[in-house]
Amino acid sequence: MTKRILTGNEAVALGALRAGVKVATGYPGTPSTGCIAHLLTMNLPDRHVEWSTNEKVAFEIAAGAAWAGHRALCTMKMSGVNVAYDALISIAYSGTNGGFVIYVADDPGVSAGMPEQDTRGFALMSQLPMLEPSTPQESYDLVQRAFELSERTGAPVFLRSTTAIALGHAPMTPEASVAPREIEPILEKDIHRYTKAGSVICKDQHRESMQRLQQAGIVVQEMELNELSLASSSGGVGVISVGATTPYLDAALQSVDASTRAGISTLRARTTIPFPWAEAEQLLGHCETLLVLEELEPHVERGFYVAAQRLGFSNRIIGKMDGTLSPIGEYGPAEIRRGLEACGLVMDSDSAAHPSREQTEVVLARGDGLCSAPRPITVCAGCPHRGSYLAIEAAIKAAGFDKDEVMVTGDIGCTILGMNPPFDLLWNEVSMGSSVSLAQGYVHAGLQTPVIATIGDSTFFHGGIPGLINAIQHRTPLTLVVMDNGWTSMTGMQVNPGTDIEFQDAGRRVDIEAVIRGLGPDRVDVVDAYDLGGMTRTLTEALVQDGVKVVLAQRECVIQARRRGVLAGTTSVDADACVLCKRCLKITGCPALGVAMDGESIVIDPALCNGCGLCVRFCPTGALSHAVPEGAGT
Amino acid sequence: MKTCDILLTGVGGQGVVTLGDLIARAALAADVPVAYVPSKGMAQRGGFVKVEIRLGQEAAGPRISAKGADLVLAMERSESLKGIAFVKPEGRFVLYDHVWEPTGVLLGEHEYPAQSNVLSALQESCREVVCLNPADRPSFDQQPVAANIYALGALAGSEALQTMIDSCMLQEAVVTRWPKAAESNLAAYQAGFVKGNQPIGQFLGDARNTTLERS
Repeated sequence: MTKRILTGNEAVALGALRAGVKVATGYPGTPSTGCIAHLLTMNLPDRHVEWSTNEKVAFEIAAGAAWAGHRALCTMKMSGVNVAYDALISIAYSGTNGGFVIYVADDPGVSAGMPEQDTRGFALMSQLPMLEPSTPQESYDLVQRAFELSERTGAPVFLRSTTAIALGHAPMTPEASVAPREIEPILEKDIHRYTKAGSVICKDQHRESMQRLQQAGIVVQEMELNELSLASSSGGVGVISVGATTPYLDAALQSVDASTRAGISTLRARTTIPFPWAEAEQLLGHCETLLVLEELEPHVERGFYVAAQRLGFSNRIIGKMDGTLSPIGEYGPAEIRRGLEACGLVMDSDSAAHPSREQTEVVLARGDGLCSAPRPITVCAGCPHRGSYLAIEAAIKAAGFDKDEVMVTGDIGCTILGMNPPFDLLWNEVSMGSSVSLAQGYVHAGLQTPVIATIGDSTFFHGGIPGLINAIQHRTPLTLVVMDNGWTSMTGMQVNPGTDIEFQDAGRRVDIEAVIRGLGPDRVDVVDAYDLGGMTRTLTEALVQDGVKVVLAQRECVIQARRRGVLAGTTSVDADACVLCKRCLKITGCPALGVAMDGESIVIDPALCNGCGLCVRFCPTGALSHAVPEGAGT
Repeated sequence: MKTCDILLTGVGGQGVVTLGDLIARAALAADVPVAYVPSKGMAQRGGFVKVEIRLGQEAAGPRISAKGADLVLAMERSESLKGIAFVKPEGRFVLYDHVWEPTGVLLGEHEYPAQSNVLSALQESCREVVCLNPADRPSFDQQPVAANIYALGALAGSEALQTMIDSCMLQEAVVTRWPKAAESNLAAYQAGFVKGNQPIGQFLGDARNTTLERS
């Protein structure tokens, strides 16, 4: 195979193929999306790869395949682990037959939203081994070791990456993929192992899962995953690095003089769970001071405190618990340098001149007020959600309410961008599907104004349906706006159950309208998100009506529509008629609108405009006009 | 081995991520160790985009430290300010001085930084500043050439990059990527390359008062 540049995500995909994976499932989520996305670009006739409805579904499918004896991979971002965990803890108790790897990408520094949670906490809770690569190349290597470890211990194994590794690109030479094993699926009827019904069963399984983790400690030793390098003399500094911190440590150690470097012991930890007891004991006995470099929570650091207490050592331990480093944000060279300096090591240049990454990103160290213009993220030019936000706002007004007295709950995905200017419409964002249930709480709290929930199509399928069922059963009055653009867009346009049949591998799509109608809300309307007038009228009626009302606003994601060559229309400006009131810009915030070079009129960037025509409705002088090509639109 | 850390900044849609990819491919072809990470944020278009590229280090962590970038290329004036904290005092800053005003600026709610202020800030931050005026971008077949390739040419004109990757390798990466647009892109690259060898100011003591050469 030739040397290519691959991301950490792609490396995991290719490593899993090398390991003979049979089934790979996942739900899109930055920064993990690229793994399944890469597999889906390949022709893999003897394997099954899919985007599942949500992470729990994805996990259970992979678990079933692994119980049946095959190697299975399941991928998700850290937030997805919360969704899958209910199933995950049960499978952890039962163990696995075929190798089962759960690939999770954490997002320290929050490149894409959602809490900065550290998935290592889940591995600790479920007593499952977890391998942590430090580079894209290691991601390729370790996913293969993870399958092996899983089969040698009978435990599902986590592979945990972070943003800089998962999205990081590096050259590597992947080897040829290996076909899945040709085996008959295992059919083992053993309720003692595969069910949870009874105290004896669960306590036995708990015991067995602990034994598997203990066994993993032995296997990890045999595999020599954790690399310990002790300095020739004792009494010096020992540095433990985990994940993304390892390459920065290597680089930093290059900048200390050779004799100092010779006195530093290092442990490249690739397993936080199981904790590397043997290496920890050696380090504690050999070094005076220990520095633990790990992003997010101090899991390894706590392990060293416990180990020191158990083994009777009293080393100085530097990390987060003494306040030297922060559990918040992504680590780069600056944090590694700060840690080394706290150990009394002298680096080549002044650390004070190296603000942390957080500081450099947020504040420019200038006193004269010169700063970048704020660039809040907004929906794309031509995004159908823009129409939905404007219609919701107009309907609130038309129904006689003020925007600041109407709760509009938000949800995960592109639809949350309605929280930003110029819309300022959404009040909250919690988790996949939460908008629908959170809204019901506001109703029961006694709000006298209408309560509106907003959700995208993929999010609705993922986690919104139970909340809607609940509202219907309990007759909780609310208006749910399902903003259906046919794609899982925020993560880069993945196929979801409702995506056009043309893109469905199995040639079937789930009719979102039929799903909603089948649940039996009091009112269902299907509208076009580009039809501002029609959607506003429908929503206004819904807002003042009692019961559970669902407005399904449909229009394909503009990015995908453009890729398919679908143009909604053409919008143009009559520069002479434009008085530059900027109303169009103020109300829609559309990135395709700008001010002409001469500063006299609005201009439309033809490269961005999709001709949705929303801006035309707000032009008081008729300077903006809209033409719909024949056969286009609704 | 020599190393070179490069930071690219700009706005989504300007081809910044593509540039990172091209430089990495050229590095691969030249057998120079490379690691890079694009940060695209959440917006498809119109959001801040950044790429960090590290050349010459085996298995490098992809993040560049503050004051650690040998080269910074900014494709948009306002977003260039985000590169200041990263450029080495002895480094080089290339600005493709495109102005992409966000909506808040168009509506008069926010200030957009003036060119003179930005350039003086860039010149205070590092030794060499190259400013490319979008109006100088050449045309090929009556069409303006690709701005990002023009800027890549200017970046390639700097010694820090040339010692790592031969300019031919970068041109080859461009041609391989878009074989049909080879002529136009090479014209863009070469025009940029010439401009890249004309820094507007070298901040060496009283050079601060150098008149900015702008066409």
